[in-house]
Amino acid sequence: MANIEGKATAITVLTPVRRGGPILLGVVFWAGRNLAFTLAKLETLSFIHYARWTLIKRFPDGSDGEGQRPNHTYLFFESNFNGTWDQYIDAFSEIVALRMKAIWGTSLGFPGPLPVEPFKQYIRRNEYVANHYWSAYPGHTTTEIISAGDVATKFKAFHEASAGLSPEAFDAAYKAFLTQVQGNL
Amino acid sequence: MNGRHDICGQAHSLTVLTSICAGHESALARYLNALGSGPASPLSHVGRTHFARWVVVGDVVFEGTGERDHLQFAQLLFTSNFDGTDLDSYLESLRTGLGVAADEIWSHCNGYPGSGDPAAFAAYMRRHHVESSLFFAAYGARTVEDVTSSLALRNELIAFAMSTQGLPPADLQSAFERRFPR
Repeated sequence: MANIEGKATAITVLTPVRRGGPILLGVVFWAGRNLAFTLAKLETLSFIHYARWTLIKRFPDGSDGEGQRPNHTYLFFESNFNGTWDQYIDAFSEIVALRMKAIWGTSLGFPGPLPVEPFKQYIRRNEYVANHYWSAYPGHTTTEIISAGDVATKFKAFHEASAGLSPEAFDAAYKAFLTQVQGNL
Repeated sequence: MNGRHDICGQAHSLTVLTSICAGHESALARYLNALGSGPASPLSHVGRTHFARWVVVGDVVFEGTGERDHLQFAQLLFTSNFDGTDLDSYLESLRTGLGVAADEIWSHCNGYPGSGDPAAFAAYMRRHHVESSLFFAAYGARTVEDVTSSLALRNELIAFAMSTQGLPPADLQSAFERRFPR
């Protein structure tokens, strides 16, 4: 069992959605896809690498038919983040409480994002532990990756612009480049 | 084409849900639990993969209200966050990269055709693919290669900056040209 790979942690949650919920969730997900500010808030959390939400209406049953249709549609959520499980849920419930409510408000048994303890119990109850978890860069956090990407972009520009400069001009350009990226080094 | 909601930047999400043959749940879980991590993981041979997981879902949870559900079959969930423009080439990477592990895993699932026939393998994965409703990628423009090379470059730059502190301009420039040739 492996929810942790280096600095990365996996969360896998399936919750039953109340009747009518899928229609509301359709609107919520549309907003998430089309209104930039809805997901921009997730970026500010700065420790989520990748996350997804999916509605599951049918489960495969081995037949060539449409599979088993349970009484409820299920909301699947997965996240890949750095930090501890507790820090993650704390941040989710405090910083993006309204979005949490919009997404899980239609799930049966959802106690609301705050206070955080009942919410944590809810996630624990509906969470599945990964049997195998993989990360291509387990030693690095989201912030490190974004910082390194920014450094690489600025370095490329500096590398191109600094060709053929006199030593003094190169020295000045190099120092300016370092000043530009020092926050990300 | 992959589902349009599976895309964020150039990053793609893949969710595959397959039913586990009755009585095979424990054997499959044991196999997955015993897989090595890092370079020992079969996923280390599947390029373009940022994060991936297998999860055995025995049954759904009853939340105390509404009608109780029970899954007829336990489910194997496979998810991946990968680079690329189309799902088919990734499924082929998955088939070839996982090697024997693909069959060791999905042969516990109903209807799995084996990995010998690329088209049948891809068709099975596609038939069990569930499109994302919402997919978030913090650095969706960056491929695995971009991420790993920029992390390496950042380390190299830090080392270079430390080792060249106080050098006169001409020495600094020639050290730079040696370390980062054009």
